[in-house]
Amino acid sequence: MSTFIEAWQMVLAPDVLLAILLSAIYGLVVGSLPGLSATMATALLVPVTFYLSPIAAIATIITASAMAIFSGDIPGCLLRIPGTPASAAYTDEAYAMTRKGQPELALGICLWFSALGGVFGTLSLIIMAPLLAEFALSFSTFEYFWLAFLGLMCATVVARSSPVKAIAAMLLGLLIACVGIENPAGTPRFTFGMTDLLGGIEVIPALVGCFAVAEVMRAMSVPEPPQLARRKFGSILAGQWKLTKEYPKQQARGNVVGIIIGVLPGAGADMAAWVSYAMAKRFSKTPEKFGTGHPEGLIEAGASNNASLASGWVPSLLFGIPGDTITAIAIGVLYMKGLNPGPTLFTEKASSMYALYIIFMLGNIIMIPLGIIMIRLATFILRAKRYMIMPVIVLLCAVGSFATGNNLFLVISVAAFGCIGYLMEKNGFPVAALVLGIVMGNMVETHFITSLIKSDGSLLPFFARPVSATLAAITIGLMVWPLAVWLYKKRTQATAAAA
Amino acid sequence: MTELSRRHLMAGAAGLGLASQLSAPALAQAFPARPITLVVPWGAGGGTDATARIVGSLMEREFGQPVNVVNRTGGSGVVGHSAIATGAADGYTIGMVTVEITMMHWQGLTQLKHDSYTPLALMNEDPPGVQVSASSPYADLKALADAIRANPGKLKASGTGQGGIWHLALVGWLGAMGLPPTAVPWVPSNGAAPAMQDLAAGGIDIVTCSVPEAKAMLDAGRARSLAIMASARNPQFPNVPTLKEAIGVDYTVGAWRGIAAPKGLPAPIAERFTTVLKKINESKEFTDFMAARGFGVKWADGAGFAKFMAEGDAAMGVAMRAAGLARQA
Amino acid sequence: MHIPNRATGIGLAVLGAAVAYGGSLLPPVPGQQVGPNVFPMVIGIGLVLCGIAIAIGIGKSFEEPEEVVASEDGAHVPADAVAPVPHAALKTIVPPLLLLFYAFTVDHLGFIPTAAVMVATTCFALGGTWRSALILALCAPPAVHLVFAKLLRVPLPPGLLPIPW
Repeated sequence: MSTFIEAWQMVLAPDVLLAILLSAIYGLVVGSLPGLSATMATALLVPVTFYLSPIAAIATIITASAMAIFSGDIPGCLLRIPGTPASAAYTDEAYAMTRKGQPELALGICLWFSALGGVFGTLSLIIMAPLLAEFALSFSTFEYFWLAFLGLMCATVVARSSPVKAIAAMLLGLLIACVGIENPAGTPRFTFGMTDLLGGIEVIPALVGCFAVAEVMRAMSVPEPPQLARRKFGSILAGQWKLTKEYPKQQARGNVVGIIIGVLPGAGADMAAWVSYAMAKRFSKTPEKFGTGHPEGLIEAGASNNASLASGWVPSLLFGIPGDTITAIAIGVLYMKGLNPGPTLFTEKASSMYALYIIFMLGNIIMIPLGIIMIRLATFILRAKRYMIMPVIVLLCAVGSFATGNNLFLVISVAAFGCIGYLMEKNGFPVAALVLGIVMGNMVETHFITSLIKSDGSLLPFFARPVSATLAAITIGLMVWPLAVWLYKKRTQATAAAA
Repeated sequence: MTELSRRHLMAGAAGLGLASQLSAPALAQAFPARPITLVVPWGAGGGTDATARIVGSLMEREFGQPVNVVNRTGGSGVVGHSAIATGAADGYTIGMVTVEITMMHWQGLTQLKHDSYTPLALMNEDPPGVQVSASSPYADLKALADAIRANPGKLKASGTGQGGIWHLALVGWLGAMGLPPTAVPWVPSNGAAPAMQDLAAGGIDIVTCSVPEAKAMLDAGRARSLAIMASARNPQFPNVPTLKEAIGVDYTVGAWRGIAAPKGLPAPIAERFTTVLKKINESKEFTDFMAARGFGVKWADGAGFAKFMAEGDAAMGVAMRAAGLARQA
Repeated sequence: MHIPNRATGIGLAVLGAAVAYGGSLLPPVPGQQVGPNVFPMVIGIGLVLCGIAIAIGIGKSFEEPEEVVASEDGAHVPADAVAPVPHAALKTIVPPLLLLFYAFTVDHLGFIPTAAVMVATTCFALGGTWRSALILALCAPPAVHLVFAKLLRVPLPPGLLPIPW
């Protein structure tokens, strides 16, 4: 108990509280700028943490990353420009709600269920950290291969277009992920002798190009849409409470899936959002409403997204294994501040550990009032003229993508992805599937090839290990099921026509 | 003295000043007159980035001029390394070069080599350890080495990508024992942390990453370190023997980081950097920081660093040819 | 720009074949059963199959006609029912061209002038007045510079017009 009080004293120190508040605002602003991701927001904080006390340093990282993940939903919802690969899964849904005149409701869902997801994720961290860590450690490359494959399957479920085109878009994404030397063989592929392509094509320029630049290109060819009616909205939260009671199952499922995927190193928030959105659609009673501004998928994916963020800290804190790029940076800060990850952190530095838990909770709680202010401010851009907003977006695309590696080649690739995204969208290819392919490509290949090296070329372990076999069954089932349904429908149609 | 002649005198003095700026001592004294850019070829948040940032902030204090740390990522380090090499050789563009500069040209990825720079100082070196799972049957390195000899190709190792520094460390170690690289097949991974996880999950048998990278798993009792490939034990892990102590094989290797400038940097400026960097290398802030991260502090001045890189480069060439990774003779 | 399914399908199939061929040329790696050539070949073959399926119209029944928002309540109408914008095709390629302009000139001109040109051109292409384009060109670049160069310490080139702060 005394350690618990000690922990509160550590958190309530004025410098820590100030650090939480400032980094929260920082995270909200950076995350909402198109082209800047949550990872970027965290990385840019590292030099600042040099000058902070250990608890304040970790507090800035935790708070800023949670805020940036939520605020990445804002441009996605208002302008159809997702801020993070995670929010790309449900951007179309959120944007459809905005066009229906419910931007506050859509953003409110993202905020409220993100915060709830974060709280549940933190609870899982507090209660079951050792158990979850044990689960994460039981995953070898065989399991990861099926998991990544399962993630890819989501492309066809999520898309509201021809499944053939969704698969084609996903394959294009996988092809883009092939470029460069970052493959298991360490062989340069499709680089055409260009040094800039050697490191491969990163997902951020692709995301910025395919969504933000393509959106500006679309705006060029259609007349300015009419202004949204200026409506008076009541409390943002009142509506959320109603939704929480209406969709308890979706929310719980989102949290659980988020926690499970988050705890697996390398999977992270991106995949959690995709899998949850696809699950919401699969199990929904009204799947046809998905993509037209329906809250169900948003709730599940939003909850999953932030739950995974908190549980991603489990392997980081216990074994120093980063769950995603954000925790990879955070581990560096932990070491620097003498809070070395490992089980001793939970025993010898128990008060610091409790302090981290409290900061997680505080971060997710202050997300609600700060997020509401942010939403109110951000919705102003819906009232601004298009020709005042779009130019700034083009500029942010250039500077934001440049900032991820301080390399002008990234700006060129953003331009190229703008054209690709525009052409794909116009011809019915889902752009989100392309992004998913880029995110997952390396994971599928690496785990497949390393598994084969380990098994001396035998495919058996892919189906023999218990967890692996379960995942394989789910994957193959998902693959065969829609085909069977389609064939069955074709058949009944044919017999009906014959009759 | 009239106003006119005084003005002449001042103009003359200014001219003299300009001329003397090109003379050695004045050049070094006036340096630096504006902010310095420190290029890091790797992403923000990693070990190289952290080392560069602490060096940068200490350098800022020594020079009294801002030192901007810039991450130039892309091309697996090639982009950043070439940005350092092609910068203006005026001392305002320097960078942190890493062990990869002695590896990339063997793979045919770039023309850049260790002699494409003016070496200023070596700041850090981390030797790899030989880590096995806690449940592994091999109690010490001798037992492991015997098992490798008895069943070549059975045990699998990981730690980084194909052709990465820890892969070459393994190949070099096997070579020093007189074994071919195929005796322990390499399983590529996205860095040391996933490899350590796979070690704990039972997917692989050996991880040759640096001991600090494995520290959390060692502390958690999930893995054991059998030896390090260095000439002396690490003071933070006094129970881990060196390769020579364990099996009598004299092989050392390490991942290192140093500061270098574009080729052709004037000698006085280079000396000024080396003086400042030596002070930083010995400072309490730097050693405390490196100890906290578990990184090893190492020092070599410009000439020593050049020799160190040349030796490392030759050794890498041997190991990479042995592993079939070299694309260039 | 709408391309007929037959053309996109054939295009994808050709791309897939090229990828599969390019992949098959990659050398194997010692110690790895599956070399770097397999994954591109699988993708290439997949693209060929998808391309053929698209060209012959499989899965077309799932597609919906393109719609744009036309009225205040957010109702959608078919894309071709909206009055076209003059020079639409030309304007569409303005954003990527501006990004290329940025990539190739920012090191010479500096951030502020390059950004001003970008902002003003986009504003103008979207139907903004000279006045609004000018206001944006004067305000947006310094504001973005402040956020990125000062707060986030991104090295933006000073060029011809260095910012005093």
